[in-house]
Amino acid sequence: MGYKTEWLKGIFPALITPFTPDDRLDEEAYRELIRFVLPHVNGVVPCGTTGEFSYMTLEERKRAVEVCLDEVSGRVPVVAGTGCQSTRETVALTEWARDAGASGALIVAPYFLKPTFNEVYDHFRAVDQVGLPFILYNIPQCAGTHFKWWTAEGMALDLDNAIGIKDSSGDLPFMDAMFEKVKGKVSIFVGHDEVVQPALAAGADGAILASANLIPDVWQRVYRAVQEGDLETAQYWQQRVQKLVRIVVRCSSTQAVKEGLRMMGLPIGDSRHPIMPGGGFKREDYGELRLQLEMLGKIKKAPVTYDLGGRQVETEVFATPQTPRTISGFTLKVGEGFAGPPFQELAHVDLLMGLKDGPVGRAIERSMAGWGEERGLRIINERPRTLLVPTVTIRTAKQRRLFYEHAAEGVNLGIRLSIEDGFLPEGILDDVALIANVFVHPAASIAKRVEFNNYKATRHAIRKALEGRPTVEELINEKAAARHPFRYAP
Amino acid sequence: MPVKLPWLKGVFPALVTPFVKKTEEIDEDAYRLLIRHTLPNVDGLVTSGTTGEFPYLTREEQRRLVVIGVEEAGGKPVIAGCGASSTQEAIALARDAKEAGASAALIVTPYFLHPSDKGVYQHFYDIATTVDLPIILYNIPQVMDRYLPRTVVEDLADLPNIVGLKDSSGDLTYTMELLEYVSDRIDIFIGHDEVVLPALAGGVSGMILASAQVYPDVWQKVFRLVAEGRLEEARALQRSVQKLSRIFCRYGGGVAVKAALKMMGLDMGRPRKPLKGVGGALIHETRAEIRLELEKLGKIPVEEAAFEYPSGLLVERFGDLEITPAGLAAHHMRVGSGVAGEGLNKVQIDLVAGGKETPLGDAYALQLTYPLHGREALTAILEPALTVRPATLLLPTLPQKNLRQANMIYGPTQSALARAIVDALEAGLPSASGGTGGVKGHIPPAAVDGEVMVALATVHPRALDRHALYQSVHAAATQALAQAFSGARGEEPGTREEE
Repeated sequence: MGYKTEWLKGIFPALITPFTPDDRLDEEAYRELIRFVLPHVNGVVPCGTTGEFSYMTLEERKRAVEVCLDEVSGRVPVVAGTGCQSTRETVALTEWARDAGASGALIVAPYFLKPTFNEVYDHFRAVDQVGLPFILYNIPQCAGTHFKWWTAEGMALDLDNAIGIKDSSGDLPFMDAMFEKVKGKVSIFVGHDEVVQPALAAGADGAILASANLIPDVWQRVYRAVQEGDLETAQYWQQRVQKLVRIVVRCSSTQAVKEGLRMMGLPIGDSRHPIMPGGGFKREDYGELRLQLEMLGKIKKAPVTYDLGGRQVETEVFATPQTPRTISGFTLKVGEGFAGPPFQELAHVDLLMGLKDGPVGRAIERSMAGWGEERGLRIINERPRTLLVPTVTIRTAKQRRLFYEHAAEGVNLGIRLSIEDGFLPEGILDDVALIANVFVHPAASIAKRVEFNNYKATRHAIRKALEGRPTVEELINEKAAARHPFRYAP
Repeated sequence: MPVKLPWLKGVFPALVTPFVKKTEEIDEDAYRLLIRHTLPNVDGLVTSGTTGEFPYLTREEQRRLVVIGVEEAGGKPVIAGCGASSTQEAIALARDAKEAGASAALIVTPYFLHPSDKGVYQHFYDIATTVDLPIILYNIPQVMDRYLPRTVVEDLADLPNIVGLKDSSGDLTYTMELLEYVSDRIDIFIGHDEVVLPALAGGVSGMILASAQVYPDVWQKVFRLVAEGRLEEARALQRSVQKLSRIFCRYGGGVAVKAALKMMGLDMGRPRKPLKGVGGALIHETRAEIRLELEKLGKIPVEEAAFEYPSGLLVERFGDLEITPAGLAAHHMRVGSGVAGEGLNKVQIDLVAGGKETPLGDAYALQLTYPLHGREALTAILEPALTVRPATLLLPTLPQKNLRQANMIYGPTQSALARAIVDALEAGLPSASGGTGGVKGHIPPAAVDGEVMVALATVHPRALDRHALYQSVHAAATQALAQAFSGARGEEPGTREEE
């Protein structure tokens, strides 16, 4: 019979594992991350799924847990991820964690080869003999095995050292079955960031989350609000971070969390291959994650100087370590924005930014004096002067409406918000002009989505043009793996 | 022991249902034309199947299609699609079909509400014991969201009226399982166009296919070749229609079949709403691909294109950008040219690079306002959101008359050019050459922010092999970049003639 401990409740970040540029465990960065989250959490989980345990050697996993135990030094419980594919390795690593002083172990369902449920049960039964309290871990997205309620129930009720279940499936009916069967007997933790508030409200004891690396304070608020019965506050914060956590959960959580931490100024390297930048966490997600972190106050503004040749303009923008503190070269800047899904409504914006008396300004005046009207070009803004160019010839009334009303509104919103957030400071609005070459698919239907995607694409294109992204380094890192969707035949 | 029907073998097209534009009424004349087009190469017809949009047809319309089918079939058997969600309706449809002269009924697994295995068995049992018409079971999990369980088929095969099963799943492990258990009692038909040959070789009796109204001749040959054991020839034929078959199966179904027939001069109108003629399941890009494949098959004539690869002095090829030989020299721009590939895959890249402050900067900005109608420039990207540096435009030298041409530029040409640029960029970095500076002939770091490039690309208007095209563009662009960046900047470009 499992049991419920006093300490297994609240918010536990599933710590990412930082690696150095030469791919070793970055102990200093790891300690910095732990110090960053510690004030807001009830415990930590080193070497979970987000911690890339499946890409680490046993020695590395041990070292990471040691560093974590040392840095935490007893202030909160440490639940070490010790799950492996085979029972033999899992037992050995869990024994090691017991001797190293971990408070408990988080043990994933054995994965890749798909053991049957009675084999899974016997796996956990072997782990139970170790004597370290452990949490059963259901994450079908990765492990490929979704516990049945009777398996989870059997393990929670039969095994003496079972103290909890972490369910990362996001499958609330499954979680409700857990409440029905084992609530009060072991702790029930939610591990899917998109459903934390409903799970806590329904009775979960806590959460182990990837996004708790980034926003441990927000999750602590949600947790406390639910404990105090203040559902309104809990709902408010869940909704406020919903987009951020959707990006994290759906887009290769480990790389997304790492890039998010880096935007916030923590010295965190990339995930290990085959997870890579611009992979599951796509380039277009980067800009959205950044905006969410800005909105939550996690990325701060910093002064930046725009050098317009003869004149300098000071502004303040939400700056990441990649943001140059002086930006020059306003003769001609190029930025590409891309936003989707869905396919039909995706937005692609080729943006040019440049001085009015330079190539961009001259091209706008020349085209409007010449073929502008015939080709459907339109000036949609005066500050900064902005030319909208349709990438695809507009043929139907529907295309016309989607392009000149909705895509144009999206582009203008992207410009307006860039003015508000400082990237297009008042001081340059009369000096620079923009050309937005905008693609709306002939089969697009959902008007608001065309608008939103073009807003996103434009806002990100403006930032990319100013910050000089993608960088040469990014291009070289991704050139071999890049996959242009239209490069292949159907 | 059930008796097999002697006629139940060979090639059967799952006919589309033609509709009149706007009213969406059935276009009977078009239907007759379609049947006459397929008839010489088929062993029978299938009306109101999935390809025929049966869920959108009324009972009366389905009956009418059978009547026309029988009138036009010249004695060949007509199999009537009688699929319905409820048993009651399926029985009614099968009764109609029998009265209208159908030789058999094709009946899908009941859908939407998901009955248990018992319910599925009872459905077919009720129909088979109520209506005196041979029944072909129909497994199509792609739209029904479930398989017809093999164990249920095993039991149904004992009923006298159950004569066959059409398997459209494309899952040959399921097909083989059926052959193992029931092929002694009923005929198995393959309904998935991509796996016809392996299924025939595995032992199915024939095929009911969407594409059997587009290229029935090909399937008839495949059927006979397999029967004669001439597998090499059969494989070559299957491969010749593999891509089109894939498009019909996965990227548009009956909608794509209607698009193909229209290109061949058989206008079957649009599908009924909510399906779109194009822009829904069948996207514009795929429709263009269908045309390419029909040309390859000889089903539609090839448009001959007269064009030339640019020749003469390289420095004189940038007139479209308003860059003259004198301008090139005066502003120390770099030029280079490369040619690679053969035949349809021959590609020429003429490239110019220069400072953003030069007239090339103006040309770059101007090209994105589309002064050259039909030859719109696009940015060189590795993939969306990975724009190369220095910023580079790809400008086709030939008008892009249709999506088929555009499909070769967007994607293959665009990303191959981008890849060549990033390769040249990497080679020009100090780290790539042992820390001593750039490699001769590659893009120096200073150009990354300071310059822009425009690549004029001449791609054969009938190019269609994206992989070969990518290789050609990459090779040609690599040559062009090497030439452009090999001399000292400011070298008199007029002295460099191509080849």
